[in-house]
Amino acid sequence: MFSSLFVFRGRASPMVEFAVSVAAAVIVVALWELAARAGIIAPQFLPSPSRVVIALWTMLTEQNLLWHVAVSTARVWIAFLLAAVMAIPIGIMMSSYRIVGAALEPMIDFIRYLPVPALVPLSIIWFGVGEETKIFLLWLGTFFQLVLLVADDMRRVPQEFVEVARTVGANSRQVMIDVALRWMGPTLLDNLRITLGWCWTYLIIAEIVAADSGIGYVIWTARRFVKTPEVMAGVVVIGLIGLVTDQLLRLLHRRLFRYL
Amino acid sequence: MTGYVQFVDTAKSFGPVNVVRKTSLGLDRNSLVVFLGPSGCGKTTLMRMVGGLDEPSSGSILLGGEKVVRPDRRRGMVFQSYSSFPWLTVEKNIAFGMRYRKDLDGAEKAERIGHYLDLFGLADFAGSYPNRISGGMRQRVAIARTLAAGSDVLLMDEPFGALDALTRERLQVELRQIQIREEKTVIFVTHDVEEAVFLADRIILFSRRPASIVADIDVAAELGPDRPLEIRETQKFFELRNKVLHLIRNETGAVV
Ligand SMILES: Nc1ncnc2c1ncn2[C@@H]1O[C@H](COP(=O)(O)OP(=O)(O)OP(=O)(O)O)[C@@H](O)[C@H]1O
Ligand SMILES: [Mg+2]
Repeated sequence: MFSSLFVFRGRASPMVEFAVSVAAAVIVVALWELAARAGIIAPQFLPSPSRVVIALWTMLTEQNLLWHVAVSTARVWIAFLLAAVMAIPIGIMMSSYRIVGAALEPMIDFIRYLPVPALVPLSIIWFGVGEETKIFLLWLGTFFQLVLLVADDMRRVPQEFVEVARTVGANSRQVMIDVALRWMGPTLLDNLRITLGWCWTYLIIAEIVAADSGIGYVIWTARRFVKTPEVMAGVVVIGLIGLVTDQLLRLLHRRLFRYL
Repeated sequence: MTGYVQFVDTAKSFGPVNVVRKTSLGLDRNSLVVFLGPSGCGKTTLMRMVGGLDEPSSGSILLGGEKVVRPDRRRGMVFQSYSSFPWLTVEKNIAFGMRYRKDLDGAEKAERIGHYLDLFGLADFAGSYPNRISGGMRQRVAIARTLAAGSDVLLMDEPFGALDALTRERLQVELRQIQIREEKTVIFVTHDVEEAVFLADRIILFSRRPASIVADIDVAAELGPDRPLEIRETQKFFELRNKVLHLIRNETGAVV
């Protein structure tokens, strides 16, 4: 039952794989707990998992953690949806019409390599320290990446499909909607899932900027008072949200694209 | 020169590269013509021009006396790969051929789908997605789709190139039967000499790039219209096949 796990490129049943995943996580946490309890590392550097869990509980019950989570989630999703709604049509236009591609591609490629943190001062000058700045920074981190991914996907639509559609009488708009978009569906959803992940990584940067809410703010405040368990609890929460969202989007992918 | 499909002094260059030399050729309606020639000689380009997907650099192509300017459903393409849409079931893939037809109502479309599902033995797979069926089935779906679209010229670019020998043989027999029964004009590109002789009413042999016609072989005069599998074992078939092979060696100086 477990022997195929040790075969190069072998296959294992989902149950066995799940068991291995859980066991590995348990071992890592157990080692961490042992290391912390043995006092090998000072607790303000590495608190034990049990203390992180206790911190998490206090944050949930006494410090409105769920509200902060909700605020952060809302920021991420607003910025992400904004980026997606803009990036999908622009990306498609970029690879479908040379004039759009030639005009935008070099610019977007340049902006994409600008580090988001470096743009924090600029965005404060532009938008102040309110919600706009945070949304802008998150959007910045995702939009330019996504545009190029979408443009790439669009370019990869097999010419054969486009030509079959044209020979049965589809016009450009119909080719776009009935063939190109349908073909892109699976990769598009994958790319959205991946860029959503990036959006969460920019959250901390965005919420360090004079925020008074959100997980980033919680983590940053805890850091100031060297409350390491709370810092870790905050990080764990982001990790959990990431994990759950990712799995949900994968599930959606399987549901939507059963033909794969 | 006459014909249902006519190349009139057709030539094609891509930038400085001359791909098809000035060619004139007329193809009869309801015949199956095979384009044979060395790799990269310009067969696909010739076919794409008939489809209206590429424009001749000079000269023109006529279909029923009318100049081809853009793709339309009178000429359907069947490719070797990416032939059926993976996100549509077999039935919906066939229906796609009629998706943009306004002259048929729902009932007529359903009837045509049923007809082609039966004709190609696809009825049991109507609800399956392409990646759940064999490569041969996928090519049947693609052919059925172009027929459902109402094409009377089928442009087939190495459509059986990726299939195993047995499936390939079966599809050749089916294609020939359906071409006769449904009265279609087929231009078929292949590298396979056996396939060419077995299927063709007429083989047009092209030179190396830039393509020009080096031989025009009337297969129908030798083998007749009906092509049962057994014909492959006849003396006549062998002789024809060897003749074509010789022509290829001597006239094109290449292996196909
Ligand atoms: N869009 C294009 N732009 C530039 N060159 C092209 C284009 N399409 C085809 N060619 C060139 O034209 C020549 C003929 O191509 P074509 O695909 O028609 O050959 P073919 O006979 O179908 O070859 P094969 O047997 O390999 O399929 C090739 O040298 C190819 O590189
Ligand atoms: Mg070709």
